[in-house]
Amino acid sequence: MEVEPIPEQVQVQEKIEQVDSADLVVGVLAELDQVGLAAVCDALGTLPGSPRVVVLRDDRAANPGQSNVEAATPGASSCHLIPWSLLGSATPGMPVAGTSAAYQSVFAASEKFGARACCVIASSLETATPGWVREMAQPLVERNLDLVVPHYARRKFAGLLNSSIISPLMRCLYGKRINNPMGPDLGLSRRLFQKMLGPERGAGVGGSPVHSLASVAPAALCENLQVCEVHLPARSYPPTDWMNISSLLAQILSPIFLDMERNAACWQRMRTSVSVSTIGEPLLVSQDTGTVDISRMMESFQLGVRDLQEIWGLVLPPSTLFELRKLARLPSEQFRMPDELWVRIVYDFALAHRLRTISRDHLLKSMTPLYLAWVSSYAHDVETAGRTALEERLERLSVAYEAGKTYLVSRWRWPDRFNP
Amino acid sequence: MWSQIRQQLAESTSRFLTRFASLVPGLAALVVALLISIVVGCILAAIVRPLLSSMRFDERLAQWGFPSVAEWSPKQSPTLLVSRAIAILVILTGFLIGIACVDADWTSQLARSVVAYIPNLLGAALVLLVGTVVARFLARSVLIGAVNLNLHYARLLSLGVKWMVVVLTVAMALEHLRIAPGIVKLAFGILFGGIVITLALAVGLGSKDLVTKSLERDAQKASGDNIEEPFRHI
Repeated sequence: MEVEPIPEQVQVQEKIEQVDSADLVVGVLAELDQVGLAAVCDALGTLPGSPRVVVLRDDRAANPGQSNVEAATPGASSCHLIPWSLLGSATPGMPVAGTSAAYQSVFAASEKFGARACCVIASSLETATPGWVREMAQPLVERNLDLVVPHYARRKFAGLLNSSIISPLMRCLYGKRINNPMGPDLGLSRRLFQKMLGPERGAGVGGSPVHSLASVAPAALCENLQVCEVHLPARSYPPTDWMNISSLLAQILSPIFLDMERNAACWQRMRTSVSVSTIGEPLLVSQDTGTVDISRMMESFQLGVRDLQEIWGLVLPPSTLFELRKLARLPSEQFRMPDELWVRIVYDFALAHRLRTISRDHLLKSMTPLYLAWVSSYAHDVETAGRTALEERLERLSVAYEAGKTYLVSRWRWPDRFNP
Repeated sequence: MWSQIRQQLAESTSRFLTRFASLVPGLAALVVALLISIVVGCILAAIVRPLLSSMRFDERLAQWGFPSVAEWSPKQSPTLLVSRAIAILVILTGFLIGIACVDADWTSQLARSVVAYIPNLLGAALVLLVGTVVARFLARSVLIGAVNLNLHYARLLSLGVKWMVVVLTVAMALEHLRIAPGIVKLAFGILFGGIVITLALAVGLGSKDLVTKSLERDAQKASGDNIEEPFRHI
């Protein structure tokens, strides 16, 4: 039976057919109103060489309840605003997988328009004007770089999962010092987004789905593509949902650990890390200097030490378990988790994820109390720290990750034999 | 009269002796079959044990998600459990063969009923296996979820869930084995109900604080004086 297309779909299709090709495709996943989108278009219109730009807007996020075909083409004729179904961006209970699906959708659209590059805008920044999108796009169209990642101005208690695991782990694994390897605002060259769409990315390790968001930076770094960072203002993070933090942790870490498995041959060759080129000047933000309440996180850690020994015992070596038990007995004000211990915990969990020691979902969720313990310790360290001290603290953590890489490589290669 | 009694006694003795004499070879065959099966069982166990040890069967079993098998096993070793089970199976087979030598009619009936019972045994074993895996999975899910919600009775909750599933599984397995189904149903109802009531009371009493805290949080939100948390994880 043939399905009659509804008039709205026909109009969108007509609009897409009007734009047969583009130089740059920008997917907007962030909530931007019509004025904001027009400002983005204006900013992109000032790019050198006046590239033809297509801005894909996810209408469900921008104007919930409104028709998808209300989009108007702003004044600049080289910028076309097209409503696009960014599939999966609203998957209930799986926001990370949904976001990755949206990225994939933007890559597919970029391929369809034959674009030279694409950008994904997923954040709202604290003090930025929409012009920052231009900063992300410029290195792609002007310098033919392959990956542009953001370097958001750092607030000490924001983006903690990135600071504690994602950024130092990727730096140690893939040898490039990238502050926000998972964006979420990213710029990709045609070469890179085609790689992300390629058949080898269709299915991950053991049939697990590939998450574009986590795979972009490793794919670029393993292929020795050109990467640069752009200094941007601080990002606005959503408030912590304590009820779902373990679920989010699992959703974010799982694709990273899967990528470790996929790229094992690549990261085992890397020995040291180097900086990547940066664009712009670091932006200063005011830092909170008051004391913070860590009692909830400490309580979670102590409960974990009491009740999750059975599960951690399958993942962590006895020496680590012993140290955790010792830490759990410390009073809150003396609580410090050594970076070396934290790094080994992350590596042991990555290994257990690979070996499927227990259900992967259980494994990653059981890591939550340990992660909160690290956050508590970090909060103690930096609660009165200024910008420089904060950077030094995170640099020490990254160095600890690099120093522990031999442990990771040994356990990865000989999981049964090498178990201290 | 006396002679008739003597004749009856002689006939009965002769009948008994004849019957006994006819049984002796069968009994001897039973003993021989038993001895041979014991020897074969021990040899097989002796072969299987080092084979499983070299395959690191105990560790692999734990990795495959059956660590509880070790708890039931002699000396906490599933390898020992498997090798002994093989030996016992061989001895049991030898015993059945030996019994068949004693009385063909009776033993063929026995063998028929044993064979007919095997599907029940297999079904019950499968139910137990699946039940154990499910119980373990659910217990872990509940434990991790409860710890991440900062619930102090996480272990109790997890144990409760595990035992509920185990009790349900054992009851289903016994039903399959057709062992006292009436008693099993009754016992299961009482036990299951007991666990549910215990958990309900434990959680109900334990979650008083949780509910109070939750209401306090709501009240704070409503009055607009809640303290903004500085931590942003993701």
